[in-house]
Amino acid sequence: MVTTAQKPLEEIFAMIRTYREARQPRDFLQCLTVGCGGCASICMAGGQREVLGLNEQLTALARSAKVPVRFSSVTVERQCNPQFLEDIDDLVRDCHCLLSCACGAGAQHLGDRYADRPVFPALDTLFLGVDIDTGFYEERCRACRNCVLGQTAGICPLTRCSKGVLNGPCGGTRADGTCEVGNGLPCAWSSIYERLKDQGRADEILEIRPPKDWRETGQGVLVQAGFEGRYGRAGKA
Amino acid sequence: MNGSTTSAMVMHRITRVLQKNRRMIRLSLQACAHCALCSESCFKYTNSGRDPRFSPSYKAINSIGTIYRKKGRLSDSEYHDVSALVWERCALCMRCYCPVGISIPSLIACARSICRERGIFPA
Repeated sequence: MVTTAQKPLEEIFAMIRTYREARQPRDFLQCLTVGCGGCASICMAGGQREVLGLNEQLTALARSAKVPVRFSSVTVERQCNPQFLEDIDDLVRDCHCLLSCACGAGAQHLGDRYADRPVFPALDTLFLGVDIDTGFYEERCRACRNCVLGQTAGICPLTRCSKGVLNGPCGGTRADGTCEVGNGLPCAWSSIYERLKDQGRADEILEIRPPKDWRETGQGVLVQAGFEGRYGRAGKA
Repeated sequence: MNGSTTSAMVMHRITRVLQKNRRMIRLSLQACAHCALCSESCFKYTNSGRDPRFSPSYKAINSIGTIYRKKGRLSDSEYHDVSALVWERCALCMRCYCPVGISIPSLIACARSICRERGIFPA
């Protein structure tokens, strides 16, 4: 899941206020807050409940700052899918700017569809993570495009090693198995070694992994196998 | 704002969503041949022991179909049933395949929109 968190309220309001002052509409500035029913809703950052709450807070802030802005809201099932964005075309027509409560992909998709209106992000996109508990998430993947989990016993060194080293441990593992960088984080390479040992393949840790080719980290495009005919291209880039 | 005003406003918004999607909903409901071919493309259906209540066509007909037929005038418990159907039994993965060309995800999304307007949505 793409994990997101709401930006500080003042930061969100400052973006809208700056736009309001630059634009100086004769009447109230109409801002449409667009929620997302996908990942942002699941991690309780940008679903319908959060959008309604955010609008209430922004309205109160605008009133106290005497900034004439009106906030309305709508939640689409997924901001990263054009089919669901079609539903709000008529609502967008009546507003001056949009506030996206989705991940960076959703906010950009909104901006691509309604390019004549500014789209402000209300959320920060943090990471690809797992649900530890309600409201508690941990990063697990950096989407680096060349997965090494098969060699590292299912523990991602890029994500979970503080230094992101591919050939560890680095020598900074404490006696209790935590990382010298601090924060009480376990040493990823210590965990990798322990798990490899449990799986009877501890010697695999001695294999030297070549450096990652970060040249391949431009904008990603994926056409799954079997869909080449439909889109006239194949593979991932 | 009193209860009746809220209710009237909500009904107005629900009617607006239904009006906007009326042709798509009506055509889809008329075109569905109940062939159940969509079922095989639904992982919720296949993982539920092929429970017919997880079939995409069942979910569409008993959510937006019910709302459309009753013009949005469902009781609270009926809306909660629809909500459970469209959120708990459907992930909106958009993989359901209909040989007639009905967009089942659009129907489910429309039912979800109406539930949202009604103030019923997952926490």
